[in-house]
Amino acid sequence: MDLSPLNRTTLAHVSKKQELKDSKVADSKTLNEVERENLFQKIDESKSYIGWALQILSPNTISTSMLQRTKYNLNAISHDTAIDLVQYALDSGVQLKEVFVDTVGPADKYEDKLSKRFPGIDVTVRPKADSLFPIVSAASICAKVARDRVVKGWSFSEDMGDVEADYGSGYPSDPKTKAWMLKYLDPVFGYPQFVRFSWSTAQTLMDSKGVTVHWDDDDEDGEKGAQRQNNKSMLAYFSASAGGKDQKSTHQTHRFFTERRLKNLDAL
Amino acid sequence: MATKKKRMPNMQNDSWVVIAADSAIDTQKHDSEPAFVRLRNPVTDAASLYMLSGGDVQLFEVKAFEEDFHSWFVGQTVQRDGRLLFVTPMDPLYLMLPYLVKVGKEGKFQPLDQVVMDEDFPACPRLLSCTRALSSLHHIAEEKEVGGVKFHRYSQEKTMNWLKKKVERTVTVLKARNISVGEGVKSTTYIRVKSESDYHPEDFLRYAHGILSEYLSEDLSKALLKHLQLPELTSPKEPEPPSKKRKLSELPVEAEEDYTKFNSADFARKPPKKMTAAQKSLAKVDKTGMKSMSSFFSPKVKAEKK
Amino acid sequence: MSCNSSVTRVNVSSMGQAQRVPVHLLPCEIEHNGPAQVSQYLTATTKDCKQEKMVSFRGRGLKGQELSCPQGYTGLVLKETNKPGSDQEDRTVKVSSVFDKLTYWNLETPPNSDDTVVMAMDWPELAEAIHGPVED
Repeated sequence: MDLSPLNRTTLAHVSKKQELKDSKVADSKTLNEVERENLFQKIDESKSYIGWALQILSPNTISTSMLQRTKYNLNAISHDTAIDLVQYALDSGVQLKEVFVDTVGPADKYEDKLSKRFPGIDVTVRPKADSLFPIVSAASICAKVARDRVVKGWSFSEDMGDVEADYGSGYPSDPKTKAWMLKYLDPVFGYPQFVRFSWSTAQTLMDSKGVTVHWDDDDEDGEKGAQRQNNKSMLAYFSASAGGKDQKSTHQTHRFFTERRLKNLDAL
Repeated sequence: MATKKKRMPNMQNDSWVVIAADSAIDTQKHDSEPAFVRLRNPVTDAASLYMLSGGDVQLFEVKAFEEDFHSWFVGQTVQRDGRLLFVTPMDPLYLMLPYLVKVGKEGKFQPLDQVVMDEDFPACPRLLSCTRALSSLHHIAEEKEVGGVKFHRYSQEKTMNWLKKKVERTVTVLKARNISVGEGVKSTTYIRVKSESDYHPEDFLRYAHGILSEYLSEDLSKALLKHLQLPELTSPKEPEPPSKKRKLSELPVEAEEDYTKFNSADFARKPPKKMTAAQKSLAKVDKTGMKSMSSFFSPKVKAEKK
Repeated sequence: MSCNSSVTRVNVSSMGQAQRVPVHLLPCEIEHNGPAQVSQYLTATTKDCKQEKMVSFRGRGLKGQELSCPQGYTGLVLKETNKPGSDQEDRTVKVSSVFDKLTYWNLETPPNSDDTVVMAMDWPELAEAIHGPVED
């Protein structure tokens, strides 16, 4: 469920730009699944001048990064993986002359970042690059095909029993996917790692149907929660005197105990 | 991002995760069962929770490890209350001392059952059933026997010698466990670099005295400090939050130890890790993804490389 | 505020039937008391690498490790099945589960010896020093 974004790169020989154009690879979004599969076959058969590599980010990796204390956003993740992929191509001995990239975030800044990172390579970053440059279209076809295959062949690491395999395409717009999401919501755990928890569809469903979970870095809970805890302990502290006579309040608990968060109880 | 919900109070708490001394839950020896009881805390003078083993043979202290935002998974269940309770053996003399001290001011020898009693705490006399209570009473009181009846009188001198031994035992364990007793604000992000040899012997004594003072009245704590020949430290107090104003304090506030830096409840979060580290670790994870992806299409990828 | 006269008895004979269960201390508050598919979701997806365990819960990355109960100590889960009507009455709890080690989880931070729960385990040995019998 929402396994995107896959980062992808295709490499083409500079002298073969025309052949690539003629092969009619187009923006993958304008193609259906069968067309994509066919074009993928074509790309894969053109080994003499096209090569490709993919980097898969699992939904779990994306969720835990995006929901991290220091938020690592989708743009940053995407930039870093693109850099990794270009580096991977270089490390594999490919002599890169030009790099075309579909932008994530402002294109000029991204282009600047990549150019600085890879001096000597002519970097072009554009919005909607996959409809402008056939090589980028080819890359997105590889990515979408791979994504579909991964979603179809997903093996759950959770012990899900007889989980219904028909979860559709995994896109939020797919009614099958939505129905599956509703059916397989666990009140405590939410979803298997297959589902990207940072995805708003999943968040909304968990908020309405799941058990509430609070983290110490929840914006509201963080400060108010600490305050509340102080209030609570203040109350407990005053109510404790009901059992005795005069409260000796000058005592401060030794740091051995406060550092270990150890405290006395006045009732079970 | 989803909206953050308010925390609701935990109303139906009915289970507790506990780490208990085996002697507290020994079923073999006695017919009666252990029980949580409320007794007067010698420091706060208010109720605290303790445990008496079956037959009231042994006393235990109950302390809770409690951090905000914690819950348990126990087997196939969730327990919202994330506290961890410790049930550890306790010397009953600490709880008996305030009663003996109070009566001792009259200077008379008295039978214990007339001393260790408390109308606010009906379980109080059960302390006298603890094996340790009677066998070690001579550490804190003088004893007289008249006509088969034992009488006791509090002795400050004996008590100080007894507490000094306690301090020494505590120092030994502090050293053995390499517990950080020095100055300096403790934080989870700093690695403790100091070892035992970096501390002054006085640091250990003072720290041990501080821990023992969790069981002693203010007067006894001060007397023990003197007995250990440790000078009283005076340090400027931090201004207190208005809600903590002390109404009852009759004495000028004076710190026995320099606790001020350490004792304020520290709810501070751990500072976030550096972004670069996070990115690095992510990059590492991703490399494997890349590999598995190529193996996914492996026949073709290999073919291409030829 | 319950009354000082009430005691809570621990039905230790119930320990015979108590199950040995895995326990996990989580770095979040779950507003729920009751059943959860812990083995299916958490245990099945936990990864071990070196000394450290990794898992994700609700999309957050957790890192944890196992911690043994101190020597001479047993982990118990106490449960109150019948609550009395008033706070004057005695209560009873039974031992519903036992454990000898627990797994604690940090939010993203690798487990280390300065974690407060690890430090809290110092307590039983120190308590022994403070409370153990003193020789004459």
